[in-house]
Amino acid sequence: MLQNIVIGQYVPVTSPLHRLDSRSKLISLLALAVIVFLANEFWSYLALLATVVLFVALSRVPLRFFVKGLFPVFILIVFTFLLHAFFTNEGYVLFSILGFSIYSGGIEQGVFIAIRIGSLVILASLLTLTTKPIDLTDGFEFFLRPFKRFGLPAHEMALMMSISIRLIPTLLLEADRIMKAQAARGADFTKGTMKTRLETMTAFIIPLFVRSFKRAEDMATAMDARGYRGGEGRTKLRVLQWRLQDTIACIVVGGVGVVLAILRDF
Amino acid sequence: MKSIDIMTIAMFVAMMAVAANITAIFPFLVFAGIPLTFQPLIAILAGAVLGSRRGAVTMVVYTIVGLLGAPVFAQFHAGPAMLVRPTFGFILSFIVAAYVVGKIIEKSHNPQLFTYIIASFIGLAFNYFIGTHWVYFAYVLGFNAPDQFTYGIVWLGMLPLLIKDIFFTIAAAVIAQKLPESVKRPFIGKGAVSH
Repeated sequence: MLQNIVIGQYVPVTSPLHRLDSRSKLISLLALAVIVFLANEFWSYLALLATVVLFVALSRVPLRFFVKGLFPVFILIVFTFLLHAFFTNEGYVLFSILGFSIYSGGIEQGVFIAIRIGSLVILASLLTLTTKPIDLTDGFEFFLRPFKRFGLPAHEMALMMSISIRLIPTLLLEADRIMKAQAARGADFTKGTMKTRLETMTAFIIPLFVRSFKRAEDMATAMDARGYRGGEGRTKLRVLQWRLQDTIACIVVGGVGVVLAILRDF
Repeated sequence: MKSIDIMTIAMFVAMMAVAANITAIFPFLVFAGIPLTFQPLIAILAGAVLGSRRGAVTMVVYTIVGLLGAPVFAQFHAGPAMLVRPTFGFILSFIVAAYVVGKIIEKSHNPQLFTYIIASFIGLAFNYFIGTHWVYFAYVLGFNAPDQFTYGIVWLGMLPLLIKDIFFTIAAAVIAQKLPESVKRPFIGKGAVSH
């Protein structure tokens, strides 16, 4: 079951959003994360909703992937909606339930906040659904590069990201193996008080660390043996390309921001 | 940064991902519907074993990997949607926690078990302080929570988790002290392989 966990959420279809450079998508998401908070009354929320629907349609990603992305925050959205519905006392009373009066202002606020969280989540999942993780790390490396003079290892960080993603399934497999090995030696992880369980856990954690460090050392030796010497002067197999469509995408996002700022109720 | 640093940091990031979802391996660690995580333990270990700088880099990489869509956060959550979850502050606090723990142990000339325990608890304090304040301000500023949602309620919700984390923090200190000799290489101070 552990081995079946999907790493990354990329959906391989062809669409205008898939063709964009990962850098322009990163910039757009950053801008949209601010723009979402500009909406504060009916028409601006409507414009925001229209933008989200347009982007989702442009991505050509099946809707069930967005539903899957929304599911983890669904409870949060329902909770905030109820919080507002029950505790905001504005507007007129719609009806009473369990001694609480539900005001129209509360429902309105609840719906607005739900749209705000929902569109943030959908816009954010658009990035990971339409961009390969490797392109994202490359894009990220590009933005981190200026900080190199402050001692931030941009290239190394991008490399560490890719390696760690690859290491997760390996480590899960290793953990499973150690647990079975210790169980064969008589360790019982399911019985006993919390204290004995934690003690048994040490018999799991220490071997896991020892084996992991051994593996890390082996891989580092392999890298050194092949002459790896860091990011300086290193070329890439696939180079990111900024095209006209990327500039257009950024302008469109800027336009959305301007429209929302105008519609906004001050 | 040498290749051994790159590999150990990547290994710790993967370790964080496993620790966050430890209940997938040990299903009995689900208490009252709340799945326990080992994240603070690994964050403290990263700082104590790798040192302040590399420990902090580990947690930064972990955060970015998760935000870029790999399911490394608790309950296999992933993607930029994590930014709007109120518990995101805890993820950010791991960076500070790892750095602080590493710094304290680096500064001490002859770290004993007691030093490790003190350092670990200071790290945990940062973890809870930043995380809980983030939860509070996320609800108040982000979701316009009404007045009934008070500062005290947030801390009350954190209390059960704190008990488990006190256990894990002691465990982290004990493991952190033993680990360098178990893997037969010092990471910090005299004889450290690389910086």
